[in-house]
Amino acid sequence: MSLKLELDFQYNTSIVKAWSALTDSNMLAKWVLPNDFKPEVGHRFQFRAEPNQYWDGVINGEVLVVDEASRLLSYSWAVGEEKHTVTWTVQELGEGKVNLHLEQTGFSNVPALEGARYGWTNWHGELAKMLAQ
Amino acid sequence: MSDNNPSRDVFDAIADPTRRRLIQLLSEVDEVPLHELTVQFDMGRTAVSKHLTILKEAGLVTDRKVGRETRFRLNANPLKEIQDWVSYYRKFWMTNMFRLQQLLEEEEEE
Repeated sequence: MSLKLELDFQYNTSIVKAWSALTDSNMLAKWVLPNDFKPEVGHRFQFRAEPNQYWDGVINGEVLVVDEASRLLSYSWAVGEEKHTVTWTVQELGEGKVNLHLEQTGFSNVPALEGARYGWTNWHGELAKMLAQ
Repeated sequence: MSDNNPSRDVFDAIADPTRRRLIQLLSEVDEVPLHELTVQFDMGRTAVSKHLTILKEAGLVTDRKVGRETRFRLNANPLKEIQDWVSYYRKFWMTNMFRLQQLLEEEEEE
């Protein structure tokens, strides 16, 4: 669909622990960045990286979806002018394994996202070829 | 015609399926006049021309006059911007996910 990054990771853990890794501020600090995250729709938070000469290190986010029943979490992710949406889904795989699916889309406005939805998948493969030329 | 200072965001430019199709068509040829592009679409030359203008504003297309016709050419460089954020965040999350794995496995051992 749209311009996006998609990644899947499998872990030997429980779905409850995986969900807490995504939603608990202290857990997030251990594997992403220091933050004031709360899993409440509408909550505005920041991830704080080390500032450098190009960037103040601040990632601004707002919680968009918290669906604990279907283990879906979505928030906006803004660095300067660039606005992304990060969406996580946790899936039980059985035998003590869970799958964490990450989707990060890179459009700041909905019309652009809708416009890009059609035909992106095929096109994206072409992009690498074009850049290689 | 410079692509150093594009007046339009490359993400806007590629958000439309017609413009992505145009980029694809242009990537298959060296240089092409407008009428050879318009035959590929169910829209008039004015509409196609407007899309080309947007691509020009994003620095993705350059044009030049050859006799009576204008020929268009792809400049793929701004597309690197798109690939860059994807690869940047791929690396960012891969590193973090590895850290998460250690975190979750540590907890398992406790």
